[in-house]
Amino acid sequence: MTAVIQAVINGIMMGAMYGLTALGLTLIFGVMKVVNFAHGSLLMVGMFAAYWLIKLTGIHPYLSLLVVPPLLFFFGYYMQNLLIKPVFRAEQQVREPLTVIIVTTGVWYVLDNLALMLFGAEYRTVKTSITGTSFSMGDFIVSIPKLSGFVVSVATAVGLWLFMVKTRTGKALQATSLDREAANLMGIDQYRIYNLAFGIGTAIAGIAGCVIMPFYYVYPSVGVVFDIRAFIIVVLGGLGSIHGAMLGGVIIGLIESVFSQFMPSTWTEAIIYAVFLVILFVKPSGFFGKKQDW
Amino acid sequence: MNILEIKDLTKHFGGLTAIHDLDLHIAKGEILGLIGPNGAGKSTLFNCVAGVFPPSVGDIRFKGESIAGKKPWDLCSLGLARTFQIVKPFGSKTVLYNVMVGAFLHTGSTSKARDKAMEVLETLQLDHRKDQLASNLTIADRKRLEIAKALATDPELLLLDEVMAGLRPTEVDDMIAIIKGLRDRGVTVFVIEHIMRAVMALSDRVVVIQFGEKIAEGKPEDVTKDENVIKAYLGSEYGAA
Amino acid sequence: MSRKQLDMTLLVLAVAVCFALPLVITSPTYLQILILLFFYAYLTTAWNLVGGFAGVLPLGHSVFVGIGAYTSTILSNQYGVSPWIGMLAGGVIAAFVGVLIGKPTFRMRGAYFALCTIAFAEGIRVMIENIDSIGPIKINGPRGLLIPLKGDSFWNYQFMHKEPYYYIILTMLLLVVALTWFISRSRMGYYLAAGGEEPEAAQALGINVARYKLISMAMSCFLTALAGTFYAQLMLYFYPKGLLGLDLSFEIAFIALIGGRGTIAGPVIGALALRPLNEFTRIYLGSQLPGLHLVIFGTILILVMLFQPKGLTPPLARLYDKFAARITGEGGAK
Repeated sequence: MTAVIQAVINGIMMGAMYGLTALGLTLIFGVMKVVNFAHGSLLMVGMFAAYWLIKLTGIHPYLSLLVVPPLLFFFGYYMQNLLIKPVFRAEQQVREPLTVIIVTTGVWYVLDNLALMLFGAEYRTVKTSITGTSFSMGDFIVSIPKLSGFVVSVATAVGLWLFMVKTRTGKALQATSLDREAANLMGIDQYRIYNLAFGIGTAIAGIAGCVIMPFYYVYPSVGVVFDIRAFIIVVLGGLGSIHGAMLGGVIIGLIESVFSQFMPSTWTEAIIYAVFLVILFVKPSGFFGKKQDW
Repeated sequence: MNILEIKDLTKHFGGLTAIHDLDLHIAKGEILGLIGPNGAGKSTLFNCVAGVFPPSVGDIRFKGESIAGKKPWDLCSLGLARTFQIVKPFGSKTVLYNVMVGAFLHTGSTSKARDKAMEVLETLQLDHRKDQLASNLTIADRKRLEIAKALATDPELLLLDEVMAGLRPTEVDDMIAIIKGLRDRGVTVFVIEHIMRAVMALSDRVVVIQFGEKIAEGKPEDVTKDENVIKAYLGSEYGAA
Repeated sequence: MSRKQLDMTLLVLAVAVCFALPLVITSPTYLQILILLFFYAYLTTAWNLVGGFAGVLPLGHSVFVGIGAYTSTILSNQYGVSPWIGMLAGGVIAAFVGVLIGKPTFRMRGAYFALCTIAFAEGIRVMIENIDSIGPIKINGPRGLLIPLKGDSFWNYQFMHKEPYYYIILTMLLLVVALTWFISRSRMGYYLAAGGEEPEAAQALGINVARYKLISMAMSCFLTALAGTFYAQLMLYFYPKGLLGLDLSFEIAFIALIGGRGTIAGPVIGALALRPLNEFTRIYLGSQLPGLHLVIFGTILILVMLFQPKGLTPPLARLYDKFAARITGEGGAK
């Protein structure tokens, strides 16, 4: 029993971080109706940025949160502006332009393989002052980097939600997600909003990179692992929903850590896909998705 | 003989009642006009008849047979075709291709479908545009294409949803002539139209609905004099005056 | 010479050249490259039936290649059934699975459909990697399956030289291209295109859009599985990660998109453009700069989407029109 509760604790902490990796994906989809296939690669970029920053300067790992997310914000902002906007312009009348998905897939291939050329295929970890530290609560052990990651994830989700409902810019993002033409008529510059959404989504991938780096390893195709998981999470939670992404993340985290108590971890992966397929057949819009989005 | 009979039709969307207890019929060979203020439920009524939404209550009979709950594609095979208020051409294809899609309903042969489509395009005076991409057409030609696609399925009853919106006056006159021509070829026509001049010129009979209920029915010239109709269109203070 | 005669002459010439190539190219390495080129062109043409004509974006077609390979190999290794028969069995199973996955997902919008097909394919891969055997059937988990050598035998679908494989895949490619040509000019092609572009309008014209999509999915999956058996017999070895992984699914989709989705020549043009590039960058640059070929791949994909969103076929078709107009002397081709 103790082992199961321990697994639940770990699952919730890990799950919140999975939710964090899916958050940017769901935000970008919500606003632009575009699935960003490069999202995992952006996470990988964030992880490498955090890795080199910590490795070269020796700063406290969480100080990277001040540097990496802003950098990735600009990266995402200009990536949308340079590569995605033109495609969107060309297919203005299409609600959900598939060509955009393809462009983001191209970005995925380019980023992952550039990383492979630059850094090689080896798995890298960085030793920091908090790596491997933990504290005990009664019978249970809580890993400090995972707990910190959990706290940052939840804070980011709450922050994003507050931003969306309370600020003018957030409302503009929401308005664009409901009806891009109407928002345009109301004086909202659609493409500036898209730049912002992409920037924020990418910055969140950067946050995720910073909090995962202290206890995980980074390699060029690490994004794919998180990407597929993030896809499953957003479909579970409902594409475009913030709390859906967090809940979906926690569910995946729980399945992974609880089931791995009873079976080899490769099977838990199979179970995640099976759960996903069942949800797909039963409730394709996910827990919090809007019906018209699927 | 009535080609379409609607009995006690009610359609709810969640808590909203879009159509309430509506009765309506169309005789074979007739042109029936459906008018009413914005949001009166005209398009919902069309969508119920065309099989997009099943009715919540009531029955719809087409050629004597109940069609409530049937799917759009089955209705089309039975001889009931429609156009969309916001035209939906297959934009990346040519005009001829668009119409051939409709013409394939009754034939599996590509050459027969092409002949049929050409014949329809000639009827609608659109044949000179046959090789243009549908997305490059003017609004007037798009509206014609919308009718041509539906007409290629050889319907007995054709539902036209605001095919004159956005047209210039001369284009409206052309369209009136086209629709009358369809009736002369034996097609029964049910039109939603906002342009009063067109409704008056076209319809044998007019039905007026407001808030999902029928408020008047009759010959065009009588309906326009009806107090309820004037109220509905101009507001109650005008009606009282 | 009329335009039609010119088209036919060039087509016959191209096919004749393809059949004659092994007389000139005798190096097994180069033949293998050509075989794989045709293999990808075939797979992409099959994908195009649903991904191009029906207007959805399936990104998990490797699973059907896998079904073909596993079915025929299990049947021949363990039950002595000829791979030719196993190939048909695999096709039928793949068509069935395709309909099963298509039925709930075709109602969904583009992005959802793409994600679901990815997750389905990955799910199957992970499961196969976890299964050593189902009852008496040996799957071998991540190690994959090996086909024992049986010597030159048509019945066993094994040949000691590359030429027979070359002619088999060339024939398969020609047949599948002819099939798509035929479909695109038939009622089914019109209905698929209409349903993919404006489903509501298509339904109003009497088209049961979902049914036509399912038919195209079944056909596409069936044909894809046939190529799976071919691959297994060509390589005599395959394993889940290589055969069922996302890389293959994505490469198929990329070739279609770069060549021109929904066109007949697109998959072939895409394979002609990308496969040699892929092979040569991998062979000549792969050792010094691993990943460079995929960087080039991705860059080309982005550039094509930015500047020719409909792929390479439309501009090439315009070029050909100009050329044909000059040859035939017919002014201004449309």
